[in-house]
Amino acid sequence: MDLSQYLEIFIDETKEHLQTLNDQVLILEAEPDNIDTVNEIFRAAHSLKGMAGTMGFKRMQRLTHDMENVFSEVRNGKMSVTPDLVDVVFKCLDAVEEYLSCIVSTSDEGENDNEDVIEALNACLEAESSSSSVSDVVETPVAPKTDTVSSADKRKFTQITIADFEKNAITEAKAKNMNVYGVTVYIDENCMLKAARAFLVFKGLEEVGEIIKCAPIVQDIEDEKFDFDFSMIVISSKSLEAVKKVIANVSEIKEVIIEEFVVPSDAEVVSSVQEEKEKPSDKKEDSKKKAAAPTKSGGKPVANRSVRVDIEKLDVLMNLVSELIIAKNGLVSVSNQEDSKTSMQSFNEQIEYLERVTTNLHESVMKVRMVPIESVVNRFPRMIRDLSKKLGKEMELIMTGEETELDRTVIDEIGDPLMHMLRNSADHGLESTIDRLKLGKPQVGTIWLNAYQDGNNVTIEVEDDGKGVDVEKVKASAIEKGHITEEQAEMMSEKEAVELLFRPAFSTAEKISDVSGRGVGLDVVKNKIEGLGGDVEVSTKLGEGTKFTIRLPLTLAIIQALMVEVRDEKYAIPLNSIVTIEDILVSDIKYVQQKEVINLRGTVIPLVRLDEMLDCPPRDEEPENLVVVIVKKGDKQTGLVIDNLLGQQEIVIKPLGKYINIHKMISGATILGDGEVALIIDSNSLV
Amino acid sequence: MDENTVVSGAKQYIVVKLDNEQYGIDISFIDNIVRLQQITRVPKAQYFFEGVINLRGEIIPVMNLRNRFDLEPKSHTNSTRIIIVKPENNAKIGVLVDEVREVVTLEENAIEKVDYDEQGMNLIGVGKYNDTLISLLNIQGIIQELDV
Repeated sequence: MDLSQYLEIFIDETKEHLQTLNDQVLILEAEPDNIDTVNEIFRAAHSLKGMAGTMGFKRMQRLTHDMENVFSEVRNGKMSVTPDLVDVVFKCLDAVEEYLSCIVSTSDEGENDNEDVIEALNACLEAESSSSSVSDVVETPVAPKTDTVSSADKRKFTQITIADFEKNAITEAKAKNMNVYGVTVYIDENCMLKAARAFLVFKGLEEVGEIIKCAPIVQDIEDEKFDFDFSMIVISSKSLEAVKKVIANVSEIKEVIIEEFVVPSDAEVVSSVQEEKEKPSDKKEDSKKKAAAPTKSGGKPVANRSVRVDIEKLDVLMNLVSELIIAKNGLVSVSNQEDSKTSMQSFNEQIEYLERVTTNLHESVMKVRMVPIESVVNRFPRMIRDLSKKLGKEMELIMTGEETELDRTVIDEIGDPLMHMLRNSADHGLESTIDRLKLGKPQVGTIWLNAYQDGNNVTIEVEDDGKGVDVEKVKASAIEKGHITEEQAEMMSEKEAVELLFRPAFSTAEKISDVSGRGVGLDVVKNKIEGLGGDVEVSTKLGEGTKFTIRLPLTLAIIQALMVEVRDEKYAIPLNSIVTIEDILVSDIKYVQQKEVINLRGTVIPLVRLDEMLDCPPRDEEPENLVVVIVKKGDKQTGLVIDNLLGQQEIVIKPLGKYINIHKMISGATILGDGEVALIIDSNSLV
Repeated sequence: MDENTVVSGAKQYIVVKLDNEQYGIDISFIDNIVRLQQITRVPKAQYFFEGVINLRGEIIPVMNLRNRFDLEPKSHTNSTRIIIVKPENNAKIGVLVDEVREVVTLEENAIEKVDYDEQGMNLIGVGKYNDTLISLLNIQGIIQELDV
């Protein structure tokens, strides 16, 4: 066995622990006395250290070790949490993150020793220990609580049957003054890869001694054929404490029971003195884990290339697939039936059944691909905190709807744009603290990040209570940069002017900071989101704040569409962008700036003739009535003139293949029931 | 480019007809030959694309070699075929031809290289087979120009 196969687990877990640390340290900063948080941090730091150690990343281990030391002091009440300490810890986390990204790309931790961070950590330690030496004396050790209830039956290693030659080995070892320990290891029930944990335990133990017997046998353990515990007999020259520590260093180990091993004949009289000594710390470790469990059980999916799928979801999928097979068999038997009348009827029944199965199948597959947005947004609180320090503005981030789910492909792409918008809000949106006080606003600026599902879309709002967008300033800047002329600027509505922000190379920030202001940004954000089939909108009120609204489709691959006919060609229009379908008289068409519009219940809606857009041959004569599909993008509407409606259909989006140039009004193609290809109109590009 | 694609040793070519000219396509690029089926026009695509077809659930663009070589348009007949060419992994393109004739094996010495032709990189050479001449299409060259 080779450690590299555990690298992925290591990376995943390190990410998780880092996220926990980031979250918890943030909480700690706000509530320095929160002992649960300290415990949680200590536990995560400890696991990090253990994992780095077993994987042989010495630098990372050293750093996390020092971090653990600091928190161990904090936990024991010998150190108080100061803003300085928090800063140092964050630096430390960044350093670990650096190691991690290095490991991800090269599977090596790199050369950076991060001496400065380690020194800073130790400086914190020293400063505190000198000042708190008095309180040291007052410190009373935690009252040892003995846990006698389960200790006896937890010592499963006593049940190991020992062959003669093993007995000999034990006696021999004892003669050589070696220690023989019986060990039972309990693995955390939430552990994903028990075998890997067991392997790490073995590997650790082999460094300090020799495993002479193991139950269940090694092969079974490697194949994960064991519950959550395994026992072994170990010969080692090291002390019991040292051996225990090696095992406890492996993460996700719930409990380690270890004591001197005595050959079974007198096993019953084993004095449990030693174990009583062990118990209190075990117990503590245990309860700490339990305290941590609820926060972790929410399942933090790490944004990586794989999706963790609930086994139940897979079961549902499996069931549906078997139903699909049954439906197929049903159809086969129908086709064999002689009587045409009954066969027609059962044929229809089977089709209905098939339809139900495929709809469910689609739904389930989509569910498998859905990931809560939390996996991207959970790094933002930390980012805002850092920005707050860097920019010297007080601000807080309030997030809601982190549990909103989106397709994984969308989740992967959405992180950067969101981060960009948050930076924007922090840098450009919010005023400096002094200005806020002058304006009579709350001293602390607030940024909201709200996510919620809205029909077939997911909406994410990034809102701040800052100064809002100064429309005149935007216009002036746009004129200066030559994006628009002065006449255009005068004609512009406020809304159109704000849209200017999305032009490439546009920035109203007076000075360029390393946070933002280089003018590469919102246009990239917009492109990215439109590439995902969504859109962005801004609404702003000068002096009160700005709100960016991002709308994203729930899923990309299968959509509901309206099938229409233009001349004799079939096209699909995504249903989610359609508002209504109208039948209008040609005589109702009005002209505004030589463009066709209709007045529909008080709203003026521009018309787009799809036949012209799609280069279809002209009609011989214009009919009196036109069928118009009203589509929307944000709150803008456009009417698409088509020839015929065919109906609603669920379509699978397919790419058009390489080499062919596609106009942006065509977003893809789909295959209809009769095998014909129909193109999908991207109505967003026509609005 | 054409240096690399020129054959070393014998190679097989599928001979197709456009009007009275014979063209050869390297058989190693060919995925499939299908009968004419309904082609869906794609508005605003390059002029030489006839549209897209559905080949067993996959959508494949179809190029009309007549348009590509500026030949007179001609309506499809019963012998019209679509040759599915696979210039790269994961990318297929259909080529519309008037007729598919045969498979020939050409030795290297039966191929006369052309350094360039009027349209650029469309040909890799001219093969002599029995008494006829076959213009050998440079599939990758044709595709490459599409990328530009």
